[in-house]
Amino acid sequence: MVDTLAGHSSWPEWIYIGVVIALLVWVGAEAWNVERLVEHTPADAEVIKVTGQQWFWTFEHEDGTKEVGELHVEAGKAYKFEVTSKDVIHSFNIHDYVVLMDAVPGRINTVWFAPTDAGEFPIQCREYCGLIHYNMRGTLYVEEAS
Amino acid sequence: MRSIIGLFLVLAVLIIIPSIEYAFAQDEPGEYIDRRVLIWNLFFRMMVVAFTIGAVVSGTIVWLCWRFRESNPKAEPTKYEIAGEW
Repeated sequence: MVDTLAGHSSWPEWIYIGVVIALLVWVGAEAWNVERLVEHTPADAEVIKVTGQQWFWTFEHEDGTKEVGELHVEAGKAYKFEVTSKDVIHSFNIHDYVVLMDAVPGRINTVWFAPTDAGEFPIQCREYCGLIHYNMRGTLYVEEAS
Repeated sequence: MRSIIGLFLVLAVLIIIPSIEYAFAQDEPGEYIDRRVLIWNLFFRMMVVAFTIGAVVSGTIVWLCWRFRESNPKAEPTKYEIAGEW
Protein backbone atom coordinates (compact mmCIF):
# COMPACT_ATOMS: atom_id res chain seq x y z
CA MET A 1 0.00 0.00 0.00
CA VAL A 2 1.44 3.35 -1.05
CA ASP A 3 0.35 6.56 0.63
CA THR A 4 0.62 9.11 -2.17
CA LEU A 5 0.13 12.11 0.13
CA ALA A 6 3.09 11.27 2.33
CA GLY A 7 5.14 10.03 -0.61
CA HIS A 8 6.20 6.82 1.05
CA SER A 9 4.96 3.34 1.64
CA SER A 10 2.97 2.81 4.81
CA TRP A 11 2.84 -1.00 4.88
CA PRO A 12 5.34 -1.29 7.79
CA GLU A 13 2.96 0.80 9.87
CA TRP A 14 0.04 -1.50 9.08
CA ILE A 15 2.17 -4.52 9.99
CA TYR A 16 3.12 -2.79 13.25
CA ILE A 17 -0.54 -2.04 14.06
CA GLY A 18 -1.50 -5.62 13.21
CA VAL A 19 1.21 -7.09 15.45
CA VAL A 20 0.22 -4.81 18.35
CA ILE A 21 -3.47 -5.71 18.02
CA ALA A 22 -2.67 -9.42 17.73
CA LEU A 23 -0.53 -9.30 20.86
CA LEU A 24 -3.18 -7.41 22.84
CA VAL A 25 -5.85 -9.90 21.77
CA TRP A 26 -3.62 -12.84 22.68
CA VAL A 27 -2.71 -11.40 26.11
CA GLY A 28 -6.37 -10.63 26.85
CA ALA A 29 -7.57 -14.05 25.70
CA GLU A 30 -4.93 -15.92 27.71
CA ALA A 31 -5.65 -13.97 30.88
CA TRP A 32 -9.42 -14.32 30.43
CA ASN A 33 -9.11 -18.06 29.88
CA VAL A 34 -6.91 -18.66 32.93
CA GLU A 35 -9.20 -16.54 35.10
CA ARG A 36 -12.21 -18.52 33.86
CA LEU A 37 -10.50 -21.84 34.63
CA VAL A 38 -9.37 -20.70 38.07
CA GLU A 39 -12.80 -19.37 39.03
CA HIS A 40 -14.72 -22.48 37.98
CA THR A 41 -15.45 -24.14 41.34
CA PRO A 42 -15.83 -27.95 41.15
CA ALA A 43 -19.33 -29.18 42.06
CA ASP A 44 -18.02 -31.54 44.76
CA ALA A 45 -15.95 -28.91 46.59
CA GLU A 46 -16.39 -28.93 50.37
CA VAL A 47 -17.43 -25.55 51.73
CA ILE A 48 -15.34 -23.99 54.50
CA LYS A 49 -16.56 -20.74 56.03
CA VAL A 50 -13.65 -18.42 56.73
CA THR A 51 -14.14 -15.49 59.09
CA GLY A 52 -11.51 -12.85 59.66
CA GLN A 53 -11.51 -10.55 62.66
CA GLN A 54 -8.89 -8.53 64.48
CA TRP A 55 -6.62 -10.44 64.53
CA PHE A 56 -7.27 -14.11 63.87
CA TRP A 57 -8.98 -16.48 61.44
CA THR A 58 -11.88 -18.79 62.25
CA PHE A 59 -12.80 -21.74 60.03
CA GLU A 60 -16.06 -23.68 60.02
CA HIS A 61 -16.34 -26.98 58.15
CA GLU A 62 -19.51 -28.36 56.57
CA ASP A 63 -20.08 -30.68 59.55
CA GLY A 64 -20.01 -27.72 61.94
CA THR A 65 -16.48 -28.30 63.23
CA LYS A 66 -14.75 -25.03 64.04
CA GLU A 67 -11.06 -24.26 64.09
CA VAL A 68 -9.30 -21.10 65.17
CA GLY A 69 -5.93 -20.13 63.72
CA GLU A 70 -5.46 -23.46 62.01
CA LEU A 71 -7.18 -25.36 59.26
CA HIS A 72 -7.02 -29.10 58.57
CA VAL A 73 -7.79 -30.36 55.08
CA GLU A 74 -7.04 -33.46 53.03
CA ALA A 75 -4.83 -33.64 49.96
CA GLY A 76 -6.65 -34.48 46.74
CA LYS A 77 -9.95 -32.90 47.74
CA ALA A 78 -11.42 -29.60 46.58
CA TYR A 79 -12.40 -26.92 49.07
CA LYS A 80 -14.43 -23.80 48.52
CA PHE A 81 -13.76 -20.98 50.95
CA GLU A 82 -16.58 -18.58 51.79
CA VAL A 83 -14.65 -15.63 53.13
CA THR A 84 -16.08 -12.83 55.24
CA SER A 85 -15.11 -10.49 58.07
CA LYS A 86 -16.63 -9.43 61.38
CA ASP A 87 -15.00 -6.00 61.67
CA VAL A 88 -12.66 -4.45 59.11
CA ILE A 89 -11.41 -5.57 55.71
CA HIS A 90 -8.91 -8.42 55.83
CA SER A 91 -7.50 -10.58 53.07
CA PHE A 92 -7.27 -14.35 53.30
CA ASN A 93 -4.03 -15.65 51.80
CA ILE A 94 -2.45 -19.08 51.49
CA HIS A 95 0.70 -18.10 49.67
CA ASP A 96 1.87 -21.59 48.73
CA TYR A 97 -1.41 -22.38 46.98
CA VAL A 98 -1.90 -18.94 45.42
CA VAL A 99 -5.14 -18.43 47.32
CA LEU A 100 -5.98 -14.77 47.94
CA MET A 101 -9.40 -13.30 48.67
CA ASP A 102 -10.56 -10.17 50.49
CA ALA A 103 -12.62 -10.64 53.66
CA VAL A 104 -15.18 -7.85 53.65
CA PRO A 105 -17.77 -7.22 56.41
CA GLY A 106 -21.32 -7.98 55.23
CA ARG A 107 -20.15 -9.79 52.12
CA ILE A 108 -19.19 -13.36 51.28
CA ASN A 109 -16.40 -13.81 48.73
CA THR A 110 -15.53 -17.25 47.43
CA VAL A 111 -12.30 -18.86 46.30
CA TRP A 112 -11.47 -22.54 45.89
CA PHE A 113 -8.41 -24.73 45.85
CA ALA A 114 -7.41 -28.37 45.81
CA PRO A 115 -4.28 -29.09 47.87
CA THR A 116 -1.96 -31.67 46.37
CA ASP A 117 0.96 -31.86 48.79
CA ALA A 118 0.73 -32.88 52.45
CA GLY A 119 2.42 -30.51 54.87
CA GLU A 120 2.08 -27.28 56.81
CA PHE A 121 1.55 -24.00 55.00
CA PRO A 122 1.25 -20.50 56.44
CA ILE A 123 -1.97 -18.50 56.27
CA GLN A 124 -1.57 -14.74 56.44
CA CYS A 125 -3.74 -11.63 56.37
CA ARG A 126 -2.74 -9.56 53.32
CA GLU A 127 -4.74 -6.40 53.96
CA TYR A 128 -3.49 -4.00 56.60
CA CYS A 129 -6.13 -4.34 59.32
CA GLY A 130 -4.69 -2.68 62.39
CA LEU A 131 -2.03 -2.94 65.03
CA ILE A 132 -1.44 -6.68 64.98
CA HIS A 133 -2.07 -7.24 61.28
CA TYR A 134 1.47 -8.55 60.91
CA ASN A 135 0.67 -11.38 63.29
CA MET A 136 -2.76 -12.29 61.95
CA ARG A 137 -1.56 -15.67 60.88
CA GLY A 138 -2.74 -19.23 60.78
CA THR A 139 -1.51 -22.61 59.62
CA LEU A 140 -2.92 -24.83 56.94
CA TYR A 141 -2.39 -28.52 57.66
CA VAL A 142 -2.77 -30.63 54.55
CA GLU A 143 -3.07 -34.28 55.54
CA GLU A 144 -2.72 -37.37 53.38
CA ALA A 145 -6.01 -38.55 51.91
CA SER A 146 -7.77 -40.98 54.24
CA MET B 1 -12.59 -9.25 4.59
CA ARG B 2 -11.08 -12.66 3.85
CA SER B 3 -8.26 -12.00 6.30
CA ILE B 4 -10.75 -11.08 9.06
CA ILE B 5 -12.63 -14.34 8.45
CA GLY B 6 -9.30 -16.15 8.57
CA LEU B 7 -8.41 -14.45 11.86
CA PHE B 8 -11.73 -15.47 13.39
CA LEU B 9 -11.22 -19.02 12.16
CA VAL B 10 -7.82 -19.20 13.84
CA LEU B 11 -9.21 -17.66 17.05
CA ALA B 12 -12.15 -20.08 17.00
CA VAL B 13 -9.90 -23.12 16.67
CA LEU B 14 -7.39 -21.93 19.27
CA ILE B 15 -9.56 -20.28 21.92
CA ILE B 16 -13.33 -20.15 21.44
CA ILE B 17 -14.11 -23.84 20.69
CA PRO B 18 -11.91 -25.27 23.52
CA SER B 19 -13.40 -22.70 25.93
CA ILE B 20 -16.99 -23.62 25.05
CA GLU B 21 -16.18 -27.32 25.26
CA TYR B 22 -14.64 -26.83 28.69
CA ALA B 23 -17.48 -24.63 29.94
CA PHE B 24 -20.08 -27.28 29.09
CA ALA B 25 -17.99 -30.26 30.13
CA GLN B 26 -18.99 -32.33 33.14
CA ASP B 27 -16.76 -32.02 36.17
CA GLU B 28 -14.72 -35.13 36.75
CA PRO B 29 -14.83 -35.80 40.50
CA GLY B 30 -11.36 -35.95 42.01
CA GLU B 31 -9.68 -34.24 39.05
CA TYR B 32 -8.97 -30.61 39.73
CA ILE B 33 -6.88 -27.96 38.10
CA ASP B 34 -3.81 -26.77 39.98
CA ARG B 35 -4.28 -23.03 40.32
CA ARG B 36 -0.58 -22.61 41.18
CA VAL B 37 0.43 -24.06 37.82
CA LEU B 38 -2.13 -22.06 35.82
CA ILE B 39 -1.42 -18.74 37.51
CA TRP B 40 2.37 -19.00 37.52
CA ASN B 41 2.45 -20.27 33.93
CA LEU B 42 0.35 -17.29 32.87
CA PHE B 43 2.75 -15.01 34.71
CA PHE B 44 5.82 -16.53 33.03
CA ARG B 45 4.22 -16.42 29.56
CA MET B 46 3.32 -12.75 30.04
CA MET B 47 6.85 -11.99 31.26
CA VAL B 48 8.35 -13.67 28.17
CA VAL B 49 6.09 -11.56 25.94
CA ALA B 50 6.81 -8.35 27.88
CA PHE B 51 10.59 -8.77 27.84
CA THR B 52 10.64 -9.84 24.19
CA ILE B 53 8.65 -6.78 23.13
CA GLY B 54 10.81 -4.58 25.36
CA ALA B 55 13.96 -5.95 23.76
CA VAL B 56 12.62 -5.51 20.20
CA VAL B 57 11.34 -1.96 20.79
CA SER B 58 14.42 -0.73 22.65
CA GLY B 59 16.70 -2.50 20.16
CA THR B 60 14.91 -0.79 17.27
CA ILE B 61 15.28 2.61 18.95
CA VAL B 62 18.99 2.04 19.62
CA TRP B 63 19.55 0.91 16.01
CA LEU B 64 17.64 3.94 14.65
CA CYS B 65 19.71 6.36 16.75
CA TRP B 66 22.97 4.65 15.72
CA ARG B 67 22.14 4.28 12.03
CA PHE B 68 20.72 7.76 11.42
CA ARG B 69 23.14 9.80 13.51
CA GLU B 70 24.78 12.68 11.69
CA SER B 71 28.29 11.28 12.14
CA ASN B 72 27.49 7.92 10.55
CA PRO B 73 29.65 7.52 7.38
CA LYS B 74 26.60 6.12 5.59
CA ALA B 75 24.47 9.13 6.48
CA GLU B 76 23.03 11.00 3.51
CA PRO B 77 21.21 14.32 3.50
CA THR B 78 17.46 14.05 3.01
CA LYS B 79 15.91 15.42 -0.15
CA TYR B 80 14.61 18.34 1.89
CA GLU B 81 18.11 19.13 3.13
CA ILE B 82 19.48 18.89 -0.42
CA ALA B 83 16.79 21.28 -1.68
CA GLY B 84 17.33 23.56 1.30
CA GLU B 85 13.60 23.40 2.10
CA TRP B 86 13.77 22.95 5.83
